[in-house]
Formats: sequence, C-alpha cells, structure tokens
Amino acid sequence: MSDFPVFFLHGLAYAGLLFLVSAGLTLVFGMMNVLNFAHAAMYMLGAYFSYTLLQETGQFWLSLMVCPILLFVIGALIERFLLRRVHTYGHLHELLLTFGLAYIITEVVKWVWGNYPLAVNIGGFLGDTVEIIGITYPVYRIFIFVCAVLVGIVMALILYKTRLGIILRAAVNDGEMVNALGINVPLVFMGVFAFGAALSGFAGVIAGPLLSTYPGMAHEILIDAFVVIVVGGFGSLGGAVVASLLIGELQSFGVLLFPKLSLALVYLLMAAVLIVKPSGLFGEKQ
Amino acid sequence: MMTQKNAHYLFIAVLFALGAVMPLVLKQYHLNMLTEIIVFALYAVSYNLLLGYAGLLSFGHAMFFGTGAFTVAVALIHIPGLSMWSAIALALAMTTAVGFVIGGLLLRHKGSYFALLTLAFNALFYAVATKWHTVTGGDDGLSVTRPDLALGFTTINLAGLTSFYYFTLVIVGAALVFCWYFTKTAMGQTVLMMRENEERMKFLGYNTNISRLILFTFTGAVAGLAGAFYTLHFQFCSQSAISVDMTTTVLLMTFVGGTGTFWGPMLGVLVYVILQNYLSDITDRWPLFMGLIFVFMVLFIPGGLTQIIQSIKTLFAGKRGTGKPIAVKEVST
Repeated sequence: MSDFPVFFLHGLAYAGLLFLVSAGLTLVFGMMNVLNFAHAAMYMLGAYFSYTLLQETGQFWLSLMVCPILLFVIGALIERFLLRRVHTYGHLHELLLTFGLAYIITEVVKWVWGNYPLAVNIGGFLGDTVEIIGITYPVYRIFIFVCAVLVGIVMALILYKTRLGIILRAAVNDGEMVNALGINVPLVFMGVFAFGAALSGFAGVIAGPLLSTYPGMAHEILIDAFVVIVVGGFGSLGGAVVASLLIGELQSFGVLLFPKLSLALVYLLMAAVLIVKPSGLFGEKQ
Repeated sequence: MMTQKNAHYLFIAVLFALGAVMPLVLKQYHLNMLTEIIVFALYAVSYNLLLGYAGLLSFGHAMFFGTGAFTVAVALIHIPGLSMWSAIALALAMTTAVGFVIGGLLLRHKGSYFALLTLAFNALFYAVATKWHTVTGGDDGLSVTRPDLALGFTTINLAGLTSFYYFTLVIVGAALVFCWYFTKTAMGQTVLMMRENEERMKFLGYNTNISRLILFTFTGAVAGLAGAFYTLHFQFCSQSAISVDMTTTVLLMTFVGGTGTFWGPMLGVLVYVILQNYLSDITDRWPLFMGLIFVFMVLFIPGGLTQIIQSIKTLFAGKRGTGKPIAVKEVST
C-alpha cells in the first residue's frame, strides 16, 4: 500500500494537535479536578485571534507568541473572578460554569467573526513541502508534531524536575498543608488554569492553518480530546501522549480502511478500553 | 387542615384541569408550543431524577431521548400498520435496554468522570445516527405520519393538533405523575439517601450499585418516552434529537428551573421554551443571552427559579423551604 506512509504522517500530525489540546485539559483536570468544558472554546478563541493577527501583520511566529499570552490572561481572569467563586459549591458547579462559558465564547466568536469558515494561509518556509522517506510532505504537519513533542518535554520537565513541579504535585495531594507551609495555593491554581488556557491558545494557533477556522471547531476537537483523556487515564500526561498517538493514527487509518466506520472507531476504542481497564490505560485507580 | 400529600394531589389535579381547557383558550401557534413544553417537561423531569435526586451529572441524556425518537420514527416507517401503542411500547423497550447496558458500563465511574463518559457515549450515538444513513436517514432525517389511536371501543384520529395535544397531555402527564410517585417510593427515597451518604447506605445493607442502575434505566426509559412524543409531535426526527446539544438543552432547562424540587425543571422548561421563542424573534444572538443567563444563575442563583420562589415564600411566610437540594423525608416504618 503506497498511501501507507502518508496516512501515517497525517496521523502523527493530528496526534500532535490532539496532544496539544488534551495536555492542557488533562493538566487542569489532574491538578484542580475541574473538567474544563471551556477549554476547546478557548482553543477556538486562540485560532481566531491568530487569524486576525495574521490578517493584520502576516507574522505567524508573532501570533504563536502573542495568542497564548492573551489566553493566559483570559484564563487567569476566568479562574480568579468566576471559577473561584463557585469552588465552594463543588465540582458540579465548576463544570456547569465552564460549560456556560463555552456557550458564551462560541456565540461571541460567531458574532465577531461570523458563522463561516475562514482560511488561514501561512507563507514562507512552513507553507512549503519537503521530501521525506521518498514522499513530498507539507512542512507544516511535521512542524505540528515537533511542537507537540517540545511542549510535552517541557511540561514533563517542569512537572518532574523543578521546584514548581514539586509544589504543584504536593498541592494536589494536600492543598491545605502546602498552604500552611507558606505557599499561596490559590495563586498556584490560578497559574495552572491560566497555563492550561495558554496551551489551548497555542493549540488553536497551530490548528488554524491545518483545519479551517470555524465556530464548530471547538465542539469537534472537544469530544476527541475528552476521548484522549478517557483512554489515556484521567490526569495522566503520559497517558495523553499514548492516547493522542493511538487516536490520531486510528482516525487517519480509519478514513483509509473503513471510511463508513471512521467516526465511530474512536468511540469503539474508548468503549473497549473502558471495559478492559475502566481507569484508562495509564490512569490510577479512582 | 390540608396535609402535604393532599396539597400535591390538588396541585396535580389543577395542572391537568388547566391543561384540559388550554385548547379552548390558546391559538394554534401557542398550543403547538404548549405541546412542546409538555414533552420537554417529561424529558427535564427524567433528567432531574438523575441530577437532582441521585446527584449524577450526565452529558448523555439525549442518547435516550434520541433513541426513543428514532425508534418510533423507524418503526412507523418500516412496519406498516403499526399502532400508536406498539410504537410507543417499542420505544420504551428499546430505551430501557440501552439504559441498562450503558448504565452497566458507565455507572462504575463517579462525578466528572461519569459526566465525561456519558458525553463521549452521546457522541458515539450521534456518530452512528449520522452515518447509518439507511436506517436513520442521516442528515435528511425521517418524516412520519401519526397513526390513529385505537382505544378498543373507538379509534381517534390524531392528525389534528388538538387531539394530539390531549393525547400528549394524558400520556405524558400520567408519566410525569408516575415519576413523582416514583420519588415517593422506597426506591426513590433510597436514591436520595445514597446521594447524601452512600457509605452508610452500604453498611445498612443496600446494594447501591443496583439501585443506581435501576434509576438510570428508569430515567432512560422516561426520556425515551419523551423522545417518542417529540417525533410524534413534530412528525419528524433528525439526528439533532440525539445530539449533545439536546443534552445540553435539557441541562439548561433543568438548571434554570432548579434541581432542588421535583416540579422545578417543569417550570424551567416553561420559561426556557417561551424565552427561546421570544428571544429568537428579537435577536439572532439568543444563545448568547441564554449562556449569559446560565452563567449568571450558576454564580448567583444556584438553586434556579425555584430558589427565587422559595425566597419569596420565605419572605412572606417566614420559614419553609430553603432552595437547597431535595431533602430526605423521614420514613416511618
């Protein structure tokens, strides 16, 4: 099968994007136990910000820097002024709040940018194609995968090799104790949520040129990202890596091999994992 | 002095009497809306049995609603001469089976995990409904005509809105009363107590997993009945009936009404449908306002409209309810 390597590379590119989206989601869920429904909406916001910036300046690298910062600020504001207020009511209300926010963000996006797809073109080196393993392949898709690998490595280093990482992991275990040791835990959580938002914005900028930018993009990736978390195990970064790769390749080859079933394949994989190992591939027992 | 229970029966009787005179008062357009409200009231009440009573946040309730809707549509199209009763019975059987299987698979998980998994399964159902073109009609949807209603001694033609409205009022109304009755049974009370303290219920010898599965299956069947009437009402069923949006709609309705009481979600549906109709006349941006209202309520009125009503009651009567979650009644043995 001559298409095989192409579809494999397509799968890798989509896996990279999935990881970028689900890494932030699983981080926030693992640290704060908040299932953030607004995550994909913020990802979409990142894509739209990037579209506007590209229209104005034409600098892709600039939007790759600026949009995550914007989303970081938005995330911090959401945590500080909305999420923290409902924290005392429990997880249900936090979830409902992020769900309402997703609703609002989607509508605002439709209002400001219109309810139709916008094409994002990037020129220069990234828009080119390159010859690898005997096939001509777009540089941009390889770039996505490289970005995902870099983000994954940086996150792992922060979490497991720095003092900040130790504080984060300790705060999850026993927030009160960490607070008593003189660390501002609410501030740490605000940072985590904002960082998750920034990651989603980064993923949005990356997604823009690959998929088109349209109001349904949030909904589309949200469910896939949720499936990644379920399959990989809730809150597990390593699980997110493996599950992203699995689902990216499954989507890609599903289209090639079973075009009719391709949509359902991902959910079938999820159902199978749940039956065999309810906590996900790398999840700890709940 | 009227007892609490009699007050409930009186309330139900008044609602039915009000419903019975409505066709004389309302125009076709509003009667249409009222039928929709009754159908969605059942959907919301079944959802609140999960959310308010059992404390289970599901993002997959449209699975059942949609399965009921599609079962009726597919059965009416493919089985010629199928009676109304059999179509509805088929929908109930189908959703009961689906509820049992899905519940068995997902109820091992709690809280956010459960919410996420139900969402993913809802997406699976949606994907199947969209792709399985030969059965579900895919994007085109299915058009059906309402069969006549055989009552043994006579047959009623349900093609007109008024006769169908009365049929809905009787059957869906009866289902609503049955749901209310269910919450008063030992089973319903068990579910409430499980929400409050599951460990203790286990120690008292209750099999909480089975109780939860029964509740989940029951609410699935009730939502399926609502879905069946949805198809019968619009005489059309498309994959939107089984979409995640249909779940989020019922979540909004239930939350606006308030999860704290049995009747709250019905109030929520009433307000939601009317608000949606009027807002969508005024502005294309109505989902934005719905979202804003929702976030405002999560932040400031977590008990929903019933909380407001309770506070007004408290203002005048001095005590009574608090808008807090449904409390466990003391069971005398």
